[in-house]
Amino acid sequence: MTTFLQKNALLVVMSFIAGFVFLEACRPEDPGPGPNPTPGDLEYIVYDPQTYVIPKPTFFPEIPIPADNPMTKDGVQLGRRLFYDPILSADSTMSCSSCHLPEASFTDNKKFSIGIDGIAGKRNSMSLLNVAYVTDGLFWDGRAATLEKQALAPVEDPIELHNSWDNVIKKLKLHPTYPQLFRKAFGINDREEITKELAAKAIAQFERILISSGNSKFDRFVNGDVDAFDDEEIDGKLMFFDEGAAYNLPDAQCFHCHGGVTLTGGKFFNNGLDSVGNLSEFKDLGRYLVTGIEFDKGKFRATTMRNIALTAPYMHDGRFQTLEEVIEQYHDNGFGVVNEGAFLNQIGFPNGDGTYSGLTEYQKKAIVKFLHTLTDTDFINNQDIQNPFQ
Amino acid sequence: MKKYSLFLTILSLLFILSCKDKNEGPSTDFSITFSATYGAETLEKNKDYTFNGFPIFVESCRMYLSDIRLINADREVIISDVEYLDFTPENAVSASPTIVFKNVPEGDYTSIRLGYGVSPALNAKKPSNFPAGSPLAIENDYWAGWKSYIFSVLDGKADPDNNGTKNLSFSYHCGSDAVYKTVEFFTPIKVQADAFTQASISFDMKEFLTNDDGTPYDMVNNPATSNDAGNVVVAQALTAHWGRATRVRQ
Repeated sequence: MTTFLQKNALLVVMSFIAGFVFLEACRPEDPGPGPNPTPGDLEYIVYDPQTYVIPKPTFFPEIPIPADNPMTKDGVQLGRRLFYDPILSADSTMSCSSCHLPEASFTDNKKFSIGIDGIAGKRNSMSLLNVAYVTDGLFWDGRAATLEKQALAPVEDPIELHNSWDNVIKKLKLHPTYPQLFRKAFGINDREEITKELAAKAIAQFERILISSGNSKFDRFVNGDVDAFDDEEIDGKLMFFDEGAAYNLPDAQCFHCHGGVTLTGGKFFNNGLDSVGNLSEFKDLGRYLVTGIEFDKGKFRATTMRNIALTAPYMHDGRFQTLEEVIEQYHDNGFGVVNEGAFLNQIGFPNGDGTYSGLTEYQKKAIVKFLHTLTDTDFINNQDIQNPFQ
Repeated sequence: MKKYSLFLTILSLLFILSCKDKNEGPSTDFSITFSATYGAETLEKNKDYTFNGFPIFVESCRMYLSDIRLINADREVIISDVEYLDFTPENAVSASPTIVFKNVPEGDYTSIRLGYGVSPALNAKKPSNFPAGSPLAIENDYWAGWKSYIFSVLDGKADPDNNGTKNLSFSYHCGSDAVYKTVEFFTPIKVQADAFTQASISFDMKEFLTNDDGTPYDMVNNPATSNDAGNVVVAQALTAHWGRATRVRQ
């Protein structure tokens, strides 16, 4: 036997390889990648969608889920992989997560994000925390009505992933894993049914689970742990929410634009960043580019204040490095541009003549300290939202 | 015994029939179109209007209505517990939302009653108590500081000096149970399938900013409602104008 094997080792090895190749080729369940896959090549995989119930704090409102993209466990897992997979970019170097990092509350801490060609975008990366609740339009200018529509854009943006969806879909169809994942998520029968719309739906499902833990210092305080805050933080909170009248604290008017439990107004404002002679002079016309309404020039979506300490730099153009700079900017009451937010010049105690007192240095500091209580480390450390490839 | 059983059965039947809801009968969908105006004009975001001799414009105008009832001598029909009306939505300069109320009993009604804001029973709750899509799930129109929904919002800018610069911001955010107000409008409203299925209600912001004696509200000295939950003077003064500012038509 030994002699036979020694003499015919090459023949034996080749026979094994041939046998393996034959078996793989004949295996009906998985024809493998190829230019002309068999119709129904994924039907052997059980499609058994299980509802994914998004964990959320009890005091958060119900999360809106579109009827045509119900949350499923497999949908979320597929979306998570796509979100973190550089397969979406033309040179396979960048993914959605390149500009939306969990540790930065799904921003990238850069003034402007840099795309695959080394070109900087023109707006700061927005936090995706609690993005499921945003209903007035995504992006700084609100140009995408839904997460499903938003997820389509970066792939083909020449200064972001600079790819084409045709190319992405081609790669996904040939991929050894993704067709099966699409089958499990959406019940497609064969890999030819993979589309950009399904990819976007999966990414949107993953983005919908990016919900606060409800365990920030702020959450603990408002839910009864009165020792969670020190006096300065309490003062900051009272001013942020205009609740300080009984304590001789002025109104900082923050919550009008950053309100609700998610501290995300979701609406669009000119928050007094630039002095312009007329509205057309804004360097970035913002919301106007979507609505065509003159007074929307220079307006941008109000961002969430949750995890704000993790998402520097600030504003749509990343012009401010610190929260202290931001508070100073608001305290300066804007420039009197006609479409500036109405509350910009109502900061402080009313003087009785339509003007307001502004804030003291202590009060500004207290607000910044309060903003730090919104940091949600349980969220950024949540294992369910981390990179699955690491 | 048999006679007693028959008697009891008939008695029970009569009792059940006597308890039958008087509101039952033919019903139909009935729609109301809501709009905001400034005088005779449809209110548009950022459009100049004249108030008290100086120019103003409105940036935001929205409100809650609750406990909307159609009334006649026989009955009061609640056609809606609560509605949210945004006359200046993000993507348009104005809006006149039409709301379809389902299964409204047909009949001749002599009046309609509106609750301006969120009725106290509902106002005791919070957005997290309501399902997504409910008018009361809107986080941004609830203010924890008041423990109340923000019943109505009228924000804008004014140029009281007539010097070409609108340097006065006004922001009237009315809320809290103390500000809730109901008004009954004695306008005949007929509800009948295929014939009388709609009505309109408009809210004139010029009247909202006008005192009962016809003088303009003192916007310069009172440009904003107080954020102090215990101070609803401005909110109550303005809310008192809703009855005069509202027009019901069919």
